[in-house]
Amino acid sequence: MAERVFITGLGMITAIGDNVADNLLSLRAQKSGLDFTRQLDTIYKEVLPVAEVKHTTPALSEMAGVAGKEGYTRTTLLGLIAMQEALQHAGLSSLEDESTGFINASTVGGMCDTENVYFDIADPAKRGDFIKYIDTLDCADCTQQIADVVGINGPMTTISTACSSSANALMYGARLIKAGLVRRVICGGTEALTRFTLNGFNSLKNIDKRPCRPFDNDRNGLNLGEGAAYLVLESESLVKERNATVLATLDGYANTNEAFHPTAPSPDGDGAYAAMKTAMEMGGCTPADIQYVNVHGTATLSNDVAEGMALQRLFGENVPKFSSTKPFTGHALAAAGGIEAIYAVLAISHQIIFPNLHFKEKMQELNITPETQLLEQYPVRHVLSNSFGFGGNNASLLISKYEG
Amino acid sequence: MKGKCYIQGMAAITPQHTFEGDLTQPMAMTHGNMLSCVEPDYRSFIAPNSLRRMTRVLKMGLAASLKCLQDSGIAIPGAIVTGTGKGSLQDTERFIKEIRDYEEKALNPTPFIQSTYNAVNGLIALQQKCTQYNNTFVHRGFSFEHALLDSMLLLHEGTADVLAGAFDEITPEHFFIKSRIGLWKKETVSNDKLYEHVSPGTISGEGAIFFLLAPSATAQSYAQIGGLEMLYKPSSEKLKTALPQFLQQHGLQATDIDLVLTGANADSNHDHYYQVLNDYTHCPQLPFKHLSGDYETVGAFALWLAAQILKQQQIPSQWFPMLQQPPVKLRNILIYNHFFGEQHTFMLVQAI
Repeated sequence: MAERVFITGLGMITAIGDNVADNLLSLRAQKSGLDFTRQLDTIYKEVLPVAEVKHTTPALSEMAGVAGKEGYTRTTLLGLIAMQEALQHAGLSSLEDESTGFINASTVGGMCDTENVYFDIADPAKRGDFIKYIDTLDCADCTQQIADVVGINGPMTTISTACSSSANALMYGARLIKAGLVRRVICGGTEALTRFTLNGFNSLKNIDKRPCRPFDNDRNGLNLGEGAAYLVLESESLVKERNATVLATLDGYANTNEAFHPTAPSPDGDGAYAAMKTAMEMGGCTPADIQYVNVHGTATLSNDVAEGMALQRLFGENVPKFSSTKPFTGHALAAAGGIEAIYAVLAISHQIIFPNLHFKEKMQELNITPETQLLEQYPVRHVLSNSFGFGGNNASLLISKYEG
Repeated sequence: MKGKCYIQGMAAITPQHTFEGDLTQPMAMTHGNMLSCVEPDYRSFIAPNSLRRMTRVLKMGLAASLKCLQDSGIAIPGAIVTGTGKGSLQDTERFIKEIRDYEEKALNPTPFIQSTYNAVNGLIALQQKCTQYNNTFVHRGFSFEHALLDSMLLLHEGTADVLAGAFDEITPEHFFIKSRIGLWKKETVSNDKLYEHVSPGTISGEGAIFFLLAPSATAQSYAQIGGLEMLYKPSSEKLKTALPQFLQQHGLQATDIDLVLTGANADSNHDHYYQVLNDYTHCPQLPFKHLSGDYETVGAFALWLAAQILKQQQIPSQWFPMLQQPPVKLRNILIYNHFFGEQHTFMLVQAI
């Protein structure tokens, strides 16, 4: 029989905190990370709010312990900070004793740094130290830089399925463990804000000039965010062998495709419905077993209708508590699935449900509303975490309380 | 991994005339260090209104995947998994330029959407109404290889069949950019003379190659993928022990290998790794990058070649003039490739 997959370590950095504890503090204080950018050179500097990590890139390289060393992009540094916390949290000072995999996620790799020097790089008349950024043009660079610092010695790759990338990274890591190919994999994603992505979503008219309002009738789009989040996944046998603390289990997951439109979901949320249902059933749960859904909830017009319809279809009259945490962190794209998987673990370990900020009025198309209050001492045993992306990609994870 | 994995259909758009699966075509020659694909007429695969909007690698990827499905006789695969090192370079380059030229105002979103690495996957799913598992790997020389591993896991987990593929393109701008860090030869070579020019760098290439994979063999099977191993930045010692171990895991030893396809590319910076193949002097070692050029997902081309050779039980001699003595039998082919010394792959491809 395939081994169960346990979560044994968490690490993250977002606009609301430099580590998991600080994220939890901000969530409890209901403090959003949305603000105007201080790092990005764009005409939308004071127009479009973003959830930016509140440190300069040189400050991040100090935090990551690589100050003064060259070739680390903001994407890599965010990832490195989150990775180091995850390893420490899992009690792993060295990876030498066990083959440890790394499944990373990225949407645009080192674009945050390369977009500023791209025209010099591409211009034969220009010479300079920008040459060092050529290797950071792709998505593999950040993964390998992080892997090389911490000594990853197992399977390694990078996934890019737009906004569902790191949920797919977690799923792939869990499957590698279940197949017996490796007993420990660190999975998640890293994302730095870029002019490229900001303009991309803005050209799609998907960005709200106000702080985003998921599941509100008056919502008008998302706000982008940045950050990184990694979860240490280990097989049951390894956990027992090294007597590790289990934070939660990853018992169900699913990846489905809408096959509907390149960037928009089907209005009935077919893909979201199938992903949630499959993940839930894989973990042996029925709708009544789920206490909380951390929704994708980007606050775009089409996502929230589709996802809300899917929730109503799956749960009928008894939709569990649900909220989008994107008003806290923005939509951190390739990191979003990892960030929200960590929030799911926190919901379970602290018996807490996070509020959906900025909600005022129920959507016309739906008869459900998100949770707007911080709920403490709420009995959370099973959480569904949703991540949906371009190309019709839908991913859902079932994260559950470890009960032996 | 225990499960079996068979190639039931395939299609390749490459710098050679490979799209019709005809191995008797003459070798296509390119003078200059950038090999470009021989592109098919896309109109028989893609509707004109879609075709107009799509950029080159999207067309290549979609057409190769559809031709592969045709070849396998399956319309809707149980999953779609791909690898790409660079995604749609044309779209990425265009969007970066438009952000600058139009000063971030009134931008057309199409290049942004198409620059997304999983755009080809989305298109295939959309066109074939495939609502199942869909994933894209973007890790240099481990992009196609993890797509393959993911596919093998899916078959093992019970998926009936998987469409697995790889696509990458090269543009003049990107060719120049990568030349600045020494990836390509300084001297201009003709692809058929590649191996006569051992010097720093190699020649660049591109391709879009898809496979339909299934867990059991039929009369139409091309070959079996018997094993796959990836090594990240291995030392020479590690490589030396890993290769015999890899064969052992599959019940084979060096003498069981009838043919080796090597990623050797006349790049003196990274050529030394191929010395690990010194134990395979009993069988021909054929390099293949004079046909394809080098790029992140060229491993897919090597697999396509191996599967063709095993199915037809013949090595196309006009593509491999360096072959002196054809092997006595063609049962087990070993592929060893690495991408500029970082991501190394062994693949075992076996006759049915």
